Amino acid sequence: MATVQTLPITAPALPKGYTPPVASSSSRLTAPHPSGHRILLPVGHAHLNHLRLALHHAHDFDSFDAHIASEREAKEKLLAAEGAAEDDHGVGDEEEPEDLLALDPKEWKKQDHYAVLGLSKFRYQATAEQIKIAHRKKVLKHHPDKKASNSPNETILGINVNQNTNDDAFFKCIQKAHEVLTNAEKRRQFDSVDPAFLESEEDLTLITATEFKNKKLDFFKTFAPIFELYSRFSRVQPVPGLGKLDATKAEVEGFYDFWYNFDSWRSFEWWDKEVNEGSDSRDDKRYTEKKNKSERARRKKEDTAKLRGLVDLTLSLDPRIKLIKQQEKEAREAKKAAAQPGKPPNKTKAQEEEEKKKAEEEAKKKEEEEKAARAEAKKAKAAAANAAKKARRQQRAAEEGA
Amino acid sequence: MSAKLQPNGSAEAPVENTSQLSIVGINFGNSYASIAVLTKEGEAECIANEDGERQIACAISFLGEEIYYGNQATHQLVKNSQNTIMGFRNLLGKKFSEIPQSQDTKSAPVIQHPDIADEPAYKVQILQPAPSPLPQSTHTSNLNTPAASHAPTPRSEPVPAERILSVFEVTTMFIANLVESAEDFLGTKIQGAVLTVPATFTDTQKEALEKAASAAGVHVLQLLDEAAAAVATTTSEQWAEGAPPDRTQLIVDLGASSLTLTLLSLRAGLAFVLASSHSPNISGTQIDDTLIKFFAADFTKKTKTPLAVCPSTGVADTRAEARLRLAIEHTKRTISASPGAATCSIESLKDGLDYTGAINRMRFDLLAHPIYTAAASAASALLASAGIDAHLVDELVYVGGNASLPGLDEALVLQAGFREDVETPFARGVVTGGGVGDPTTVLARGCAVQGALVAGIPAGEEYVAVREAYARAGDGDGGEGEAKRNGVRATGKTVGVLVPGAVEGVVSELGGVWVPVVHRETALPARRTVRFDVELDEGTKVLALEVWEVNESVRVEKVTAPPFEADDDDDEDEEEEPEEVEVKFHVVNKEVFLGAVQMQSLLGIQTKGKGKDAGKWFTTLEVQFVVETTGALKVDVKEVGEGGATGSLRVPAPGS
Repeated sequence: MATVQTLPITAPALPKGYTPPVASSSSRLTAPHPSGHRILLPVGHAHLNHLRLALHHAHDFDSFDAHIASEREAKEKLLAAEGAAEDDHGVGDEEEPEDLLALDPKEWKKQDHYAVLGLSKFRYQATAEQIKIAHRKKVLKHHPDKKASNSPNETILGINVNQNTNDDAFFKCIQKAHEVLTNAEKRRQFDSVDPAFLESEEDLTLITATEFKNKKLDFFKTFAPIFELYSRFSRVQPVPGLGKLDATKAEVEGFYDFWYNFDSWRSFEWWDKEVNEGSDSRDDKRYTEKKNKSERARRKKEDTAKLRGLVDLTLSLDPRIKLIKQQEKEAREAKKAAAQPGKPPNKTKAQEEEEKKKAEEEAKKKEEEEKAARAEAKKAKAAAANAAKKARRQQRAAEEGA
Repeated sequence: MSAKLQPNGSAEAPVENTSQLSIVGINFGNSYASIAVLTKEGEAECIANEDGERQIACAISFLGEEIYYGNQATHQLVKNSQNTIMGFRNLLGKKFSEIPQSQDTKSAPVIQHPDIADEPAYKVQILQPAPSPLPQSTHTSNLNTPAASHAPTPRSEPVPAERILSVFEVTTMFIANLVESAEDFLGTKIQGAVLTVPATFTDTQKEALEKAASAAGVHVLQLLDEAAAAVATTTSEQWAEGAPPDRTQLIVDLGASSLTLTLLSLRAGLAFVLASSHSPNISGTQIDDTLIKFFAADFTKKTKTPLAVCPSTGVADTRAEARLRLAIEHTKRTISASPGAATCSIESLKDGLDYTGAINRMRFDLLAHPIYTAAASAASALLASAGIDAHLVDELVYVGGNASLPGLDEALVLQAGFREDVETPFARGVVTGGGVGDPTTVLARGCAVQGALVAGIPAGEEYVAVREAYARAGDGDGGEGEAKRNGVRATGKTVGVLVPGAVEGVVSELGGVWVPVVHRETALPARRTVRFDVELDEGTKVLALEVWEVNESVRVEKVTAPPFEADDDDDEDEEEEPEEVEVKFHVVNKEVFLGAVQMQSLLGIQTKGKGKDAGKWFTTLEVQFVVETTGALKVDVKEVGEGGATGSLRVPAPGS
């Protein structure tokens, strides 16, 4: 820690036959000035270090050094820990296959924006921060200014020819991807028709009841991924999963209830046909827009229908439903068997129904009462407002009169 | 409908938590103050207030309903001197009976506070703002209409009144104004401030200053002696770049009201005062006075209008003097900044006559010569009292508004007998143009740097004692505690290593090359490490170092100056005797031999090539000295590099 002062001195060689003078064993430094003779000015880093040396380390440099070293280590560790938290986990460091680099920026609607930024493994789950980091990395790597100097030049007939004439094509793709992914609306549209999603959707949802039965597939292994896949579109999060065989009746019912009322944010604007740029015709534009709108609605409908069909299929194949039904049946039968000796169980059933009715009625009553109360409150409010108006009018009149 | 109106935002500076420390350093002098803040780069910078002044006059003036601060207030000295308060800092914390009663009528006189016993105060005439109109009633009804009355409507004009201000209140107002300027500059609230105090301040005065600052809403991090503030600047990286870490410094503080000289021992950033002197009879005001007299005489010569100044009698003369005093501020600045002539122009100096005059640097230095000489003799006296020859002073540091005059530096170096190569800000050329050596900003910048340091002490349990050491506020023990904390033992003589051997072309009385390691007047415990190259004997490759304690002194030799090659035409000069010139040499005498370290070099490198050193063997040595508080010495020598030879020497504490 001690600072080393390098002196611009070159000392001469030892003369031949040199013998050091003999030091008397009693030779000592001149006694230092007594304490308090000099008073340090309390200023500067050196004084701070001196204070710490005096207060905590009893003037021992070694202990002070050790302390400083440990402190620095702790600080470094802290920094490292912070750095780890900030570490991007290799965001945007994915490999870039040839065909990715050869993308045409004009075809940006068709490109996989996540792949361009090297975020394929995150996709719709990529955070804004990750997108930022990835974009920065990619820009650093693919900026045309950098590429011009890095790209291999080939010498043809003694002339340097830069083979890579389409230098900034991929950079444009990167910029486009960044533009799409940082805009919430555009990103939603792209996520709706994410090519990776479409692919897996195709893989998973082609299943039919006959196929399932013929191949004797496992119900949970087949259907759970489908719902997991679709859960990303739900406006309501978290989404209930398919669950397991031992799920309770409530859970199972909750699951189907959720998926029959699935509230999706998926939309299909991304596939809109673009309005012909060249044409100024308003009619043309309107026509395309109209077509796009109907196309979107159709697709949305199709999507909803498809999901519904999937849920229907799942429901029809769900072993738990059968189980529950069977259990209910058994319970009923058991009750019946128990009810055989006398009639009370039946009665109780009737009573139950009655109670149910009563409860319903009560609820209805309550609702009505509430409605009435609300209406009354409204009326009162209106009356108060009227009264206030009246009073004001009167006052104004009085003032004018005065 | 809510009756209360919500303001649409507020004009107050938002409190932000930026990485930039909002610490302000305030040099609070008796005549002038300056403020410094830290820039984004972490360097201290002196800032200007709203009027564009870096040197803010310590003055407050009351005119009607207005209150003027700083240099605006000094302009009030011409016609409103009785309501202008100046020179209040030195009275802070003092009792009325302790203050010498002067008949100075340049500004508002100090009077006894009418209510508080033995308290100095000022009486100023002000205009109280007009009473505000009746508060608006919350009800909107016709019942509130005032009834017809015979009494007249209250006057809506300001009322003349007298205001009694204690010195404490004046100081608080002024500090608040300074801090406001800094806050406006930074755009954030100030987290803390470091203020300078003169060495002459007593503990009561320090306490009073701290209280005044807190009353102004400033958290005082530390009160720094002016010398300490200067050290904070001179030890900063900006200043000390390339300078040796061990220096003997003389701080020359020529302010408007006094000259303070401080001789410091600066050893690797640790500094303590060797000696100091305070001469209130040498001041910038004296330079002002001579300059005013000069211009007044010039005015009389040019206009045939009598003008008696310093001291002046009569209203017209007093006002003319006040005008001159304001105008020469600019003249002095021009003289300091540029070698050409400086002008002084005043409209309607006396009897409606304008004045424009000029003075060149030579004439100015001639006028100021008595003050320069007095300063130089004060410096000589101080050095003599400290027993240190002027030749051993390594650096001169100038502080204060009047120390920017280049003539002062020249006169001081010449007359007090400093080395020709003594470091001064003038020699380095860093005085003008906002350089690091600008004497007017040194203290404020030092305060800001120290403020950042104190504010940056971590908040851990471990640092409680350290933080307490800086905050002297209200500890009550006054100077005693400080002496206990900061009192140190210091070495009496220089210790170092002598590498035996002869250097070509250099006659050495010591029989080798002397490398001082721990200088005299170094605070203990001390650790120093030096590194240098050593030539090796090709055959033996033996290294030897002798550790000596030495005595440093100055030898004076009278050398006959070589006669000037006088031109033929000035014959009369030839009869003069050739002058004898004193030449001083820095002499090192071996005093005590403490031991030797001998070892076999393992890492010698032979120089290749064709140079003068070709074929010779060299190695680099690192020598570390540790001097304990007891005076025990530990010397560790090692060859730089992996697997180098090592050697050590231990000398027990004296008296054992």
